[in-house]
Amino acid sequence: MIALERLVKRYGAFTAVDDVSLDVKPGEIHGFLGPNGAGKTTTLRMIAGLLQPTSGRIVVNGHDLATEPEAAKVSLGFIPDRPFIYEKLTAGEFLRFHGGLYGIDGTGITGRVHEMLDLFELRRWENELIESFSHGMKQRLVMSAAFLHRPRAIAVDEPMVGLDPRGARLIKDVFRRMSEHGVAIFMSTHTLEVAQEMCHRISIIQKGKIIAAGTVDEVRRMAGDGGDQLTAVFLKLTGGSSLQEIDEFV
Amino acid sequence: MTQPFPFLLLPHLWSSRNRARRRQKGDLLRAGMFGGVGMAVCGALFAGAYWLTTKLAVYEEFGDYLLRLGLSWLFLTFLAFLAFSGVVTALSTFFLSDDLRLLMGAPVSAGRLFMARFTRTVGQASWMVIIFMAPILLAVGIASCAPIVFYFTAVLAVVPFVVIPVAIGAAMTLLLVNVLPARRARDLLMLASLMFAAAIVLTLRFIQPERLMRVENLPDITDFFATLQSPITPLLPSFWAGEVLFAGLQGAGDLLHGAALWTTALAFTVVLAAADRRWHFAGYSRSQEAPKARVTSLRLVDWLAHALPLSTVRRQLLVKDVKVFLRDVSQWLQLLPLFALVLLYLYNFSALDLERIPYMSGVIKNVYALVNLGMAGFVVATVAVRFVFPAVSAEGAAFWLVRTSPISMRDFLWSKFWTGLVPMVLFVEALTIAANEFMGVDPFLKVVASVAVVFMTFAMVGLAVGLGARYPRFGADPNEVAGSYGGVAFMILAVLYIIVMIVLLGWPSAMWLFSRVRNIRLSALREAMMAASFLLAIVLSIGTWLVAMRSGVRALDEMNR
Repeated sequence: MIALERLVKRYGAFTAVDDVSLDVKPGEIHGFLGPNGAGKTTTLRMIAGLLQPTSGRIVVNGHDLATEPEAAKVSLGFIPDRPFIYEKLTAGEFLRFHGGLYGIDGTGITGRVHEMLDLFELRRWENELIESFSHGMKQRLVMSAAFLHRPRAIAVDEPMVGLDPRGARLIKDVFRRMSEHGVAIFMSTHTLEVAQEMCHRISIIQKGKIIAAGTVDEVRRMAGDGGDQLTAVFLKLTGGSSLQEIDEFV
Repeated sequence: MTQPFPFLLLPHLWSSRNRARRRQKGDLLRAGMFGGVGMAVCGALFAGAYWLTTKLAVYEEFGDYLLRLGLSWLFLTFLAFLAFSGVVTALSTFFLSDDLRLLMGAPVSAGRLFMARFTRTVGQASWMVIIFMAPILLAVGIASCAPIVFYFTAVLAVVPFVVIPVAIGAAMTLLLVNVLPARRARDLLMLASLMFAAAIVLTLRFIQPERLMRVENLPDITDFFATLQSPITPLLPSFWAGEVLFAGLQGAGDLLHGAALWTTALAFTVVLAAADRRWHFAGYSRSQEAPKARVTSLRLVDWLAHALPLSTVRRQLLVKDVKVFLRDVSQWLQLLPLFALVLLYLYNFSALDLERIPYMSGVIKNVYALVNLGMAGFVVATVAVRFVFPAVSAEGAAFWLVRTSPISMRDFLWSKFWTGLVPMVLFVEALTIAANEFMGVDPFLKVVASVAVVFMTFAMVGLAVGLGARYPRFGADPNEVAGSYGGVAFMILAVLYIIVMIVLLGWPSAMWLFSRVRNIRLSALREAMMAASFLLAIVLSIGTWLVAMRSGVRALDEMNR
């Protein structure tokens, strides 16, 4: 559903994404892991059509993003890490506008907006200005917008940041249900427990390159780690400060 | 079902409607003040244009010629402004605007997005021109007893006239954003500002309007008009618009120039749309590559800060404030148009030959010394509301760092005060001395003005810092902070303060000059009253400065409770 073929992004001499290829199947939740600055957000912004790749190809639901950008974007819902929301609109107005961008017309939009507001527990705030929302509420509103047009694929950057346990539980449940309905979810996250709990497959990116990909078990075997926790595997693959080093600085 | 492009403009309309429905504290005051100032300016433009048109009407054919020339010049001036404004606005609407993150990710066709952004660019870049142009054209029409068709012609001429330069400006932005290395967009803004400022100064320097005041240069007036006419070639849209309107004034129609305006506007829009389809995404993608922005280390700032006898805390606050300011090009380049205006102001003083007006020159010169003081005060108030008032708000989301560190709010706020004060005093003092020198003002007034301006700067910078701390808007854009309730309150208080100061200083100065010119000895009571007036000015300045600062410190302390 989301296919990346030899994707490269360079900023001058610096290569942020280096020859990345992967394929997210319908109904699959694919975790995209990596340390800070590894190239996760850059990859996601290219999939969303916000950044132009230096080379390579992005295909969403069979549509090449470079040659058929509108068809590809209709199939995709994007949830950025720092979303833009019109602060002076109400939640209802924002969702109606968002629906309009995806071609949902006047007759069908109200019912769908209410469904999404109900699903993300925001119905009470439908007519409140977004500027008065907490971070978690804004996050849920952005998710409502991303699912509003019934996308076939979702690209999401750090979905759990700033959410309370109830909100996090809700998002996990929604993602699972969407995946059961055949929606492909490509999710970047730092929360390894979330990846372990939810993802069918994961890819680990470091310095712009995919260094490991597969199911959690497959990646664990690749790292030669027999432990239960993904954290240990992640640190083994991407490196990290040893206790001795920390002691020296402290 | 794809919605037509105006749909993409809806959020801005809805936001404006919501803002109007849910007014915040001070919104009405702000609207009233800005509306009042706007109405006064429009009224003055109307009156000036009406007066000039009726005077020109007396000279029949020559008057018609001048009116025709004037219309072309009016449009030429606006043409340059619109092209510059188009460059700056397009940079924001097509490349840097936050909502592009939403719209570029949505399945919106390039054509629809272009039309929506271009409509917004034209609106944003031209609203001020249209607001200023409307009373002028209305006055010209009424004074010339123009038929009703003139007003329709005016609307039909102004619409394509504003589209053409804005399209050129947007095309320049599209080109430069694609050509220059990534994230040089702000440097581009600086370049455009400098070019615009230089263009204003050079144009006026080129025309030398002061020549009109020299009686012995009368034969040169024909040269003067030739100079005025030279940039007006039949190839410029300003000429076409001027001709269309002049024909409208006579009750006739100028289809040739009208058609030239409309076809050019449409052609430019079509060509720009095609260029946008081809290069916009590449340019937008490049403009987001912020992590690779160039950083200047500004070691000179560190060196200077270390050379000053400051505590570590104050030194670090100073270094941080200066570096943040200098690295944000969009901040300090807002000073450039102001500098251009100041340059013009000084140039006018140097060019005016008041000796040509016998008897009055002495009086005019010394009155101008006070006008100059008022002008310096307004410069301080304008710069202060934009750069000093938002100083506390500019800490934004990082203010927790100051609040949780072992710095007293007093130290913090006074650091803001000195950082704002020093460059301001140097700038305004230089401006005052230079202007009074050019005018040949009486030495006594020179001293009064240069001392007074220091007191005024202390008072107004203190007022700006104090009120900025009392009404902070953390996280808001500095422009928004300047236009907030506190910013407007500052401007009102600053203007009142300037007026009171001019009265307190002007009266004793005038008395002293009068007595000297007429050789009259002043009574002891009058001298005491004059001294009291000067003293009152000093007390008012120091009081404003200290009370405002104390109030600001108290407000910040209360924030911690």
